Amino acid sequence: MISFRQVNKHFGNFHVLQDISLDIAEGEVVVIIGPSGSGKSTLLRCINRLEDISDGVLEVDGAAVHDKGTDINALRRRIGMVFQHFNLYPHLKVIDNITLAPVNAGGVSKEEARKTAKMYLEKVGIPDKADSYPSELSGGQQQRVAIARGLAMKPKIMLFDEPTSALDPEVIGEVLSVMKLLAKEGMTMVVVTHEMGFAREVADRVVFMDGGRIVEEAKPADFFERPQQPRARDFLSRVINH
Amino acid sequence: MKKNKLWGAGATMLLAIALVVSGCGAKNDNNGGGSASNDSASNGSAGGSEESGIIKDIKDRGKLIVGVKYDTKLFGLKDTASGNVEGFDIDISKAIAKKIFGDESKIELKEVTSKTRIQMLDNGDIDLIVATMTITDERKKQVDFSDVYFKAGQSLLVKQGSPITGLKDITKDSKVLGVKGATSIKNIEDKVPGLRVMQFENYQEAFAALKAGKGDTLTTDNAILYGMAKQDPGYTVVGGTFTDEPYGIAAKKGNTDLVALVNETLKEMKDSGEYATIYEKWIGEKPPTE
Amino acid sequence: MLDFSVLTNNIDDYLEGFKYTIYASLLGLAGSFVLGTLIAVFRISPFAALRGFGTAYVEFFRNIPLLLVVFLFYYGLSSFGLQLDGFTSGTLGLMVYTSSFIAEAIRAGIQSVPAGQMEAARSTGLTYVQAMRFIILPQAVRIVIPPISNQFLNLVKNSSILGVFAGLDLMYFGDQVNLDTYDAVSTYLFVGMFYLILTFPLAYATRVLERRMANAA
Repeated sequence: MISFRQVNKHFGNFHVLQDISLDIAEGEVVVIIGPSGSGKSTLLRCINRLEDISDGVLEVDGAAVHDKGTDINALRRRIGMVFQHFNLYPHLKVIDNITLAPVNAGGVSKEEARKTAKMYLEKVGIPDKADSYPSELSGGQQQRVAIARGLAMKPKIMLFDEPTSALDPEVIGEVLSVMKLLAKEGMTMVVVTHEMGFAREVADRVVFMDGGRIVEEAKPADFFERPQQPRARDFLSRVINH
Repeated sequence: MKKNKLWGAGATMLLAIALVVSGCGAKNDNNGGGSASNDSASNGSAGGSEESGIIKDIKDRGKLIVGVKYDTKLFGLKDTASGNVEGFDIDISKAIAKKIFGDESKIELKEVTSKTRIQMLDNGDIDLIVATMTITDERKKQVDFSDVYFKAGQSLLVKQGSPITGLKDITKDSKVLGVKGATSIKNIEDKVPGLRVMQFENYQEAFAALKAGKGDTLTTDNAILYGMAKQDPGYTVVGGTFTDEPYGIAAKKGNTDLVALVNETLKEMKDSGEYATIYEKWIGEKPPTE
Repeated sequence: MLDFSVLTNNIDDYLEGFKYTIYASLLGLAGSFVLGTLIAVFRISPFAALRGFGTAYVEFFRNIPLLLVVFLFYYGLSSFGLQLDGFTSGTLGLMVYTSSFIAEAIRAGIQSVPAGQMEAARSTGLTYVQAMRFIILPQAVRIVIPPISNQFLNLVKNSSILGVFAGLDLMYFGDQVNLDTYDAVSTYLFVGMFYLILTFPLAYATRVLERRMANAA
């Protein structure tokens, strides 16, 4: 479904991603962890080309992301994304936040889009907030709207970029439970997070990054119980004890 | 015409007398002072006896002092480079000096404006006004005018080859350009009902607009239009004048013999063709036939 | 001091001029807003050529006097065979001149919208133009209402430039009334009154709009 082959990315002189090779299968849930500045968010953002890669081959759902000729908008319609800071559209009601892309990029009728949107709002647990503005919602509710927005195009892949990092501790759970639900339904998910509990419980595979490289990848049980690399061990000891 | 001739003859006679009696000013003045009817212009000899005084004064002084414009294209304009004042008015003035002294260089030019010129004449600062001065009934009460020396009046400036050849071609839909505040706007809007003149801040802008093709014709005093046509030969004044604002040469009220001398000069110039030469030199075309 | 007969005797002239000032202002407002928005989008476009064009446009038109901009349309274009009258040139000049200021205000407004908004919109498959239209510009508009309304007020007042090019506006007819009446004080006070009839509601509408948008967001 997603395939990185020798992918490199530079920000000026900064080598953010170094020789990344990674394959993610359909229906797989991959959690990317690592210290800040390790390149994990960048890696995620390359998947739907919010960041261009400098060289290498990156294919997502059969489309060559590295190729400038690829219709990136068509690919993006098949990939949902959730951001750390929600990035809801503050001038639009919740319902319009969700229907905007299906109606304008997905060619779905307005009624159809509203129906789908309500369905997803139901799914994320806030069906009554359709006519609210984002500023009237709590952080957890906003992020759930953002998930519904990401799902509204009925994507094959969902990307989560630190979806709980900006949330108050007491609402993190409600967002994570929605994500678990998605995972259970078989959605292909790539999640950048610091929620080790989520990784351990939900992930099919954990990818540990440091210094722009993939240092270790393993099943969560193996990774958390028997990390192979010193850097991973070091990282885990600091997050878990924390 | 006949009257003009008589006047000319009278002026010549007066001139002759003045020549004879020059140097005997005191005696002349006495004579003049004794004549009660010296204000009557028709009384040649009586007038002559006193009015020969001004001509004699000019001669005694050795130069004719003329008030002219320094800022008016074609008529009286000071050349900033050479410092010379040149123009149609200047050449007419020189011809008068030549008539008096036989030498056109015996002349002093003083700058006047429309506001100052009559005051200067009354003060005796100048002998004559030759400064694009329109003859009006109002002014006739203040000064004595010569015959018309330039037929000024409102006219039309068009691009060479324009279908407009005169006022008759102007309709209410014509694009006519003018200058804000000029009486010429009212004149033409009265003559062509429904016409709306496009008005600009000054003549430069109005002419620029005409050149840029913003209008069919530019209307104002022909004297100004001739200046523009001279500046750009692609433009020409058409249709003669449709208002009457004749320019005259003014002398101080009562100086009828000087006026007569001026008229004589003008007539001689016209007869000799000198007038036409000067006219063409400045205005750029032959003077209109009477 | 204020002679009302100046107004009543010349009401036709005043109204005629007022009519054209309204036309010029409305056309100018709409045109400068559309043009300014377009240029602002150019200014922040990912394409260097568009950015360059936008920057050149803004820096050129906002740094020369309005009078010269109108000159360009009135005289400049006629040398290329395009003959515009005073009203058209003046209105186009107003549009273009004002649009450069509006473009700057909008650019600043757009850039004050967090980058995440564009990313979120693009990540759902919306094109750049769609993201601009549906997400960025509507948010930028709220931010730029105060500076833009200032430009609009200036535009209405600046429309007096038409008078210089026989553009038939209030100032043009005001000059004529003045030359008829020789009462400059009354003449131009009434001219000012007509401008106020336009600018005052505009300023008021801006305030209402600002308040309403503040409530909505």
